[in-house]
Formats: sequence, structure tokens, C-alpha cells
Amino acid sequence: MLQAIDLTKRYAEVQALAGFSLEVAAGEIAGLVGHNGAGKTTFVEMVSGLLRPDGGVVLVDGRPPGQSRDRIGVSPQHIALYRSITVREHLRLYGKLAGLRGAALRREIDDLSGALRLTGFLDRPAGLLSGGQQRRAQAATALIHRPTLLLLDEPTAGADPDTRQALLDVVRQRADDGAAVVYTTHYLNELTELRATIAVAAKGRVIARGSSAQLLDGLPGEVRVSAADGPVQVSTNDLTSTLLEVLRTVRRPVDSVELHPPTLDDLYRSLAAADVH
Amino acid sequence: MSTDSLYRTAALVKYNVILRLRDPAQLVSYLVTPMIFMVLFKPLYTKALGGGLVQTVTGQLVMFSVFAMAIVGNAIFVEREWRTWDRLRASRATRAELLIGKALPVFAVLMFQQTVLVVYGCLVVGMPVPRSIGLLALAMAVWGFTLMTMGSALATLVRSRGDLMMASDVGSIAISSIGGALLPVSLMPGWAQAVAPFSPGYWGLGMIRSAVEGRTADTLRPALVCLGIALVAGTFASYRLARGWGRSRLV
Repeated sequence: MLQAIDLTKRYAEVQALAGFSLEVAAGEIAGLVGHNGAGKTTFVEMVSGLLRPDGGVVLVDGRPPGQSRDRIGVSPQHIALYRSITVREHLRLYGKLAGLRGAALRREIDDLSGALRLTGFLDRPAGLLSGGQQRRAQAATALIHRPTLLLLDEPTAGADPDTRQALLDVVRQRADDGAAVVYTTHYLNELTELRATIAVAAKGRVIARGSSAQLLDGLPGEVRVSAADGPVQVSTNDLTSTLLEVLRTVRRPVDSVELHPPTLDDLYRSLAAADVH
Repeated sequence: MSTDSLYRTAALVKYNVILRLRDPAQLVSYLVTPMIFMVLFKPLYTKALGGGLVQTVTGQLVMFSVFAMAIVGNAIFVEREWRTWDRLRASRATRAELLIGKALPVFAVLMFQQTVLVVYGCLVVGMPVPRSIGLLALAMAVWGFTLMTMGSALATLVRSRGDLMMASDVGSIAISSIGGALLPVSLMPGWAQAVAPFSPGYWGLGMIRSAVEGRTADTLRPALVCLGIALVAGTFASYRLARGWGRSRLV
């Protein structure tokens, strides 16, 4: 569905993208993670057709983004809503721009506002909504026409748990329905919940790509044991064997045992640190 | 234009109309203030000038229609400030549809303002009814189009809302007063008379005054100058709007 090959982009003295490549298949959620300035937003803007790459190619369903806008749904990083316009009017506008009309448009608005828990705020101007409600409304404008490629740039930034859960449920559902999703975030646990594949970006390119299981394979976890002679903390690739070894050596009684498998946060930190060095 | 394109353009026009209707303060200000000034300045102009009634009405009309450039500027600027323009650019709407959707409602606002002031001028101030309504409508349309393009170009250049207000206030006073909206150019100092033709207000006022008096030839020449200004400003504004602002740090 999405093919981005060797993209480059330079803003004055900043190399925003330096050979950024990413492919996302239909039905796949690609979680794009990376430090601020890693190139995530520039990449999203490029796939949206808002920026032209200095080099490289972007194809959405085999066509350049400019010719595929009806298939793309974008929720930008910053809130981009008209403050004096209601949520319903926003959804009507973006629905109509995508070609929805009449009963089909009304049905999509009803379905989406229910799924994103916006029903009670549909007729409230966006400027009067809370931050979480604005986040959901903005995501709804990206989802209203059931795009086959969803670009969600930090859609849950600053959102409360309810907002986050509502968004995650809808995004997962859309992927199950066949949409390809690019989901940038700093909240790595969301990607686990979304069952997303991971792309780690740094310095304008993707430095690691795969499923979370593939990427976590080989990363050390941690064994923590609290015993009578004090706490023991061991970093290891084999949690079970290490735990047994620790239990053989510590003095009884043991107060607690904790096994920490490697997480996406560990992966992210290790890749980012490796890239810095 | 295809049916789909018309449908999208209509949707864009509709929401821009809603935006204008929900923020009417500037328009109200630029309607009421010239109405007050017309009544106050009427005795002065009628005693000082032959044909003072036409100067009373058209001078204030031109001055406050230039002020209304701020409405155009604001309409563009909020898209920058609220980051909505790029969101629209990422939609299926084409550049032309976005520009038409944005332009038509503000053009309608400018035409509405001029129409109300002319009607007020005839009914309350006592300006003679224009001999050719069609000619006057043409002149107002050309002037409205010129202002719309100038306001749009201005909005794509400024760095903040404060800049926009400053530029539109100072620019409006300069354009309209040097153009003869307050004092006829023939009564100005020599240097101001020399500078006047460089002001769009000079051509706008000449065009509208001639149209009110039914002088077709004298209306068309300034109309061509105004259209030339509109072409330059409109091309610049369209270029800037079509490209968007990206990650511009201007706002």
C-alpha cells in the first residue's frame, strides 16, 4: 500500500530525511518511533503530499501521493481544527471533500462519533472542546472517508486514557478492515496494544524495522530478586536460567522475584544510543 | 469543472461562509464607521467641493473597503494560525477548489459592504442614484477583486496577527488617503499629487466615482489598472497559498 524509498529532504541547514525508506502493507499498522527531530513528521507530511522530497520516491497504492489523496487520511501532529466550527461541521466538510454524500455521510458521522465517543460533543465548536476531545475530533476527520492509508502523527499526544483507548480501538479496527496505518508515537506500549510492526527512525532514516518480537529478540531482560542479604539485579538474555542461578546464590528467605522481559522502550533506547555513538 | 469538483468547491464555500458569519465584528465595524463619517463629513464636503456628495460617499466607501482588506487577511491568516490550510491541502480538494472556496465568501463580503454603503449613501446622505447600476456593479466587483488579492497577498507575508493588523491599518490609511479618499487629490500638496497614482486607492476611487457618475470610459481605464494590480497580487498570493507554509516559523 505504501512504499517510501530512499527519501531525502533538507530544510536550510537541517537534513530532515536522509535515505528514509518504509513500506507498509494493507492491514498493517507500522509504528514509527524516534526522538524529536528524527524525521517522523517530515515523512508523514511527505506521504500526505504536503512536501516534495528532494530525492527518493513515495507511492501510495502505486501512485504518487498527489494522485492518491482520496485514499489517504491524515491526522497531523498539531491540532488543526477551526475553532468556531463544530465537530459535526468538520466531519461534514472533510467527508464531502472525500466525496461522501447524503445518507452515507450521515452514517459515517454517526458510526465514527460513537466509536470515538464524540456523540455528546458533535454540535460544539472545536474551540470549546478539551484537548482530548479535540484529538478525537481531529482523528475523526482523518477517518471519516475510510481511507486505505491512515497517517496518524502522534494522535494520542497529551490524551487521557479514555481518549487513547477509544483511538486505539478504532485504529486497530480500521487495520483489521484492511487499511494500512502509519502511527507515530512516543508511547511504545500503544504499539504493543495495536499489534503494530515497528520502525525506529533516527537522523532522518529508519534504523530498525520488524515485528516487536523480531526486534526484541537478543535484547537483554532483567531479573530482580529481593532477599535477606539485599536486592540482586541482573541483566540477561536468559531470564529463567539466570533466575535459578540467582536463587542458588542468595541467602534465604527471598522476599520477591521479578522477571522483566525486554520492552520496546529498551529497544528504542538501545537503538537510539547505538545510533548516537 | 466536474460535478465532484463543484461539490467540493461548494463544501469549501459553505464552511468559509460559516466562518465569516461567526466572526462578523470586523465587517460591522467597517460598515457602521463609514456611515457615521459620511453623515459627519457631508456638510464639509458639500460646502468645500462641487459634487461633494459623491466625494462624501465614494471617499468613505473606498477608505473603509480598503480597511476591509483586514477581513480578507484574517480569513487567510486563521488558516495559518490554526494550521488548517495544510490539512485542507492534504484532502482531495485541488488547489483551484481551495482558492475558490476561500475567495468567493470574502469577495461576497467586500461586495456586500460596498453595496450597503452605496445604498446608504443614496438614501441617507443624498448622493444621486448612479446612472448605470451595471457600470457601478462592475466597478465595485473590480475593486473588490483587487482588494481581495491584495489582502490575501498581505496575509501570506506577515509574521503574526499583530503584523497583519499593523500592516492593514497603516496600509489602508496610506492607500486610501493618498488616493484621495479623504481629500480630493487636486487639493493635496504637490508631492502628494505626484505620489497619488502609485496608490491603488487612487485608481479605485477614480473608478467608482466615475461609475457613480455614469462615465464609462473614465471607469474602464482605472479598472484596467486595478485588474493589473489584482493580477500581480493574486498570482503572488495563489503561489504562496498553493505551496502552503509547511513548517514555516512565521506564525
